[in-house]
Amino acid sequence: MKISFISKMAWQNIKSNRKLYIPYMVAAGTTVAMFIMMSALLTNKFVQERSAVLTSLFGMGTIVIGIFSLIFIFYTNSFLMKRRKKELGLYSILGLEKKHVNTILGMETVIAGSISIISGIIVGILFGKMSFLILNYVLNFPVEIEYSIGWNTFGLTIALFIGIFFLTMLFNITQVTFSNPIRLLKGGKEGEKEPKSSPILFVLGLLSLGAGYYISLTIADSMSALTQFFVAVLLVIIGTYLLFTAGSIIVLKLLKKNKKLYYKPGPFISISGMLYRMKQHAVGLANISILSVMVIIAVSTTITLFLGTEETLSIRFPAENKLTMSPPDMSGEELEQNAEVLYDRVEQYTEEQNLQIKDGVKYQSVNLFGNLKENVFNIREIRDADGTMLLLFPLEDFNQMSAEEYNLKEGEALIYSNESSLNLDSFTIAEKEYNAISLKEVPKMIKANTQIVDTIIAVLPTTQDIDEVLSYNNEQPGNTKTQWQAEYHWNTTGSEAVKKDYATEINGITQADDLEVSGFYESRETSRQEWYSMNGGFLFLGIFLGGLFTIGALLITYFKQVSEGYDDRERIQIMQKVGLDKQTTRQATHSQIVWMFTLPILTAAIHTAFAYPIIHKLLMIFGIMQHKLLILCTVGVVVAFALIYWIIYRITSKVYLSIVE
Amino acid sequence: MTFMEVNNLKKVYTPRLGSKGTEALSSVNFSVDKGEFVAIMGESGSGKTTLLNILSTLDNPTEGEVYLDGTPLSEIKDKSISRFRREQLGFVFQDFNLLDNFTIKDNILLPLVLARTSVDNMEKRIQPLAENLGIGALLDQYPYEVSGGQKQRAAVARALITEPKIVLADEPTGALDSKSSQSLLELFESIHQEGQTILMVTHSAQAASYSSRVLFIRDGRVYHEIYRGGQSNEKYTEKITQALLVSSSRGEYNED
Repeated sequence: MKISFISKMAWQNIKSNRKLYIPYMVAAGTTVAMFIMMSALLTNKFVQERSAVLTSLFGMGTIVIGIFSLIFIFYTNSFLMKRRKKELGLYSILGLEKKHVNTILGMETVIAGSISIISGIIVGILFGKMSFLILNYVLNFPVEIEYSIGWNTFGLTIALFIGIFFLTMLFNITQVTFSNPIRLLKGGKEGEKEPKSSPILFVLGLLSLGAGYYISLTIADSMSALTQFFVAVLLVIIGTYLLFTAGSIIVLKLLKKNKKLYYKPGPFISISGMLYRMKQHAVGLANISILSVMVIIAVSTTITLFLGTEETLSIRFPAENKLTMSPPDMSGEELEQNAEVLYDRVEQYTEEQNLQIKDGVKYQSVNLFGNLKENVFNIREIRDADGTMLLLFPLEDFNQMSAEEYNLKEGEALIYSNESSLNLDSFTIAEKEYNAISLKEVPKMIKANTQIVDTIIAVLPTTQDIDEVLSYNNEQPGNTKTQWQAEYHWNTTGSEAVKKDYATEINGITQADDLEVSGFYESRETSRQEWYSMNGGFLFLGIFLGGLFTIGALLITYFKQVSEGYDDRERIQIMQKVGLDKQTTRQATHSQIVWMFTLPILTAAIHTAFAYPIIHKLLMIFGIMQHKLLILCTVGVVVAFALIYWIIYRITSKVYLSIVE
Repeated sequence: MTFMEVNNLKKVYTPRLGSKGTEALSSVNFSVDKGEFVAIMGESGSGKTTLLNILSTLDNPTEGEVYLDGTPLSEIKDKSISRFRREQLGFVFQDFNLLDNFTIKDNILLPLVLARTSVDNMEKRIQPLAENLGIGALLDQYPYEVSGGQKQRAAVARALITEPKIVLADEPTGALDSKSSQSLLELFESIHQEGQTILMVTHSAQAASYSSRVLFIRDGRVYHEIYRGGQSNEKYTEKITQALLVSSSRGEYNED
């Protein structure tokens, strides 16, 4: 056959099957658009400039959307093929050879695929640009976030979708090749076997989900949260798929065994109907659940971050002004002398400006990393998730900071740990043993630092004691050199404008050339803008992703309803012939719809609840310590998403009912 | 005793407003007595299916009325029509219309479940019926696992389980091989002998020969009728075949 004839024929087929092909191409095009929008974020300047975590997070998102595209396009394709079996069977009977049917089918896939890819890319670019413009405008950020698409994004998108369409083509061709015309003519009418329940998969699913939940529930600190987050997500995703596919069948079969419950009009129709179609639709439901969790988590965490910016600032900056110094190779005494020089200049300048210093706190400390074995702290060079941070303070500084009057004798130390179970009677550091006096509370300004990893705070009698620890550490071969750090936090009087100028001036003073040790100065006010623009950027991405995943959920829901509608239509019609009335039809389909609606949203809510600890730990890295804000945001987003999903479901179930009736 | 009475039934299909419709039934009159087994014969397009659809309340006549046990069908309200169908009528279809997602047992129980019958009652009814129809061993299987003849027996069981006033069968042997056809027809004969009223639409003279009376329908009206009376099977079949032959030749005369 000639190419022109084949393409003419294929085009004709697409046109005459437009009722099936248009939704198919719309769905495929939307997935292409979703994918290109998501993958464009990978090379987005804003994303790349922030942190490596963000890039890997979006990398994972892109992979998820890629897998989702594959599953979804296959799903819609099999839906299309099922409805067209009769037509294909007719071709064979009218005398077309299988290879001819295959070439025509292949051509159809090529045409439909190219239309979907091209339109998807165009829509993706336009929609991406537009949504960025709108979000920039609505959220009113100080810094605009640009939407850009690189050539490699195009390449990746086109390659992936050509691959996916090629696979569907292979699938369709094998379907035609390994079937006989008579069976094709009968189309989807063949009986499908009742799905078998497989307890092994069910148990595996439970284990996987349980392991994922366990990781989240027992996560110790932010560092381990960061490293184990992906593992937990993966386990939960696997668990969800397994439980939906295997678990739903087991539950439905159990319901069916309960005769009193099963042999009533509503359950009789809905349980058998759900059981019959579970095999195909469990995956769809699992997809919706996972996309819903992603929407909820993406949006709620970024909203929390944005709204919690003030909290982040107050932790980073206990006072309006913050000055730090940490020169290498200096003893505590030397640093103190040098620091005084700088502090004096700052205080002098403040006085010159007729301003007063309030709530000033000065202290020095040393920060080490290692692990605690029984009572001995071993310093280590590699900072990994299961290590412990040690903060060392001289008694004098600690007393000043906490406004307390602790007394220590030689060989005694105050020990605080954020693990309350830890109760040491002695503490050994740098081969020196101290009698430990346990400390119940530490000042708020250093407590904030103890949340991210396991932390021990040790207050030693003198600066020299800490110098010894330092030199012990720096002499060990292979250990990273560590130094003292001096900090000064203070507030001033004066108006906002005055404070702003003051900050600029102080910044100059701390960097002065004639200083032996220069300082690093930050003001809360100048940092505020920076933090808001960064967290605003996260919020922006969160809303963008949330929208993207919502569209995904919408697409699946729509197709699920339509395909279920066609499947159920014939069954309902037969039942109506033997005396099923309209009211019972409505009741039965309604309860079915309600279940299919509640199941994913319920799963999503449970997943979110179990993910809460690990998410909270992750947000601690950004300085969100309070539970209240995160809980409020999460609950709010869950409710809002349930509402949106409910609207989607209302619309799509109308489509369903109109098909069935 | 007249059990079902069909009076002056007329059905016109109008596809669009204003355009002239197609007349499927012009004037059909007949009655069925209680316990009768009536076969309706006719060629494709003669109006058989339309008639059956009206009798089974799936369609409404343009004119005329059907009375079942004294009740006019047109007076049954839309709301209770499903209930009426469920309780008074039993259906057997050409393509079985069994649901693949139910076991044979659940398929048979479907009308009872819809009528909210208690589980005990359902169990009590299904066992003897299934044994009687020779499908007692198949109850836990699915429709796609059994043969066509067995499927049709299950469909018959579904029609009978509500103890309907009349069984309406639409080409019940249409999708069966000759052996299964024969055994199904013998089944019909035996339930007829137990007192069940049956109305069967069919193409096949052989199928019709199991009835107690055959109505011939053409161009939307009943034009001939044969009673079995005390005749032997062969004689009865021969008469039916002859009537069919005459009908087709008379059809030719009419066209002249």
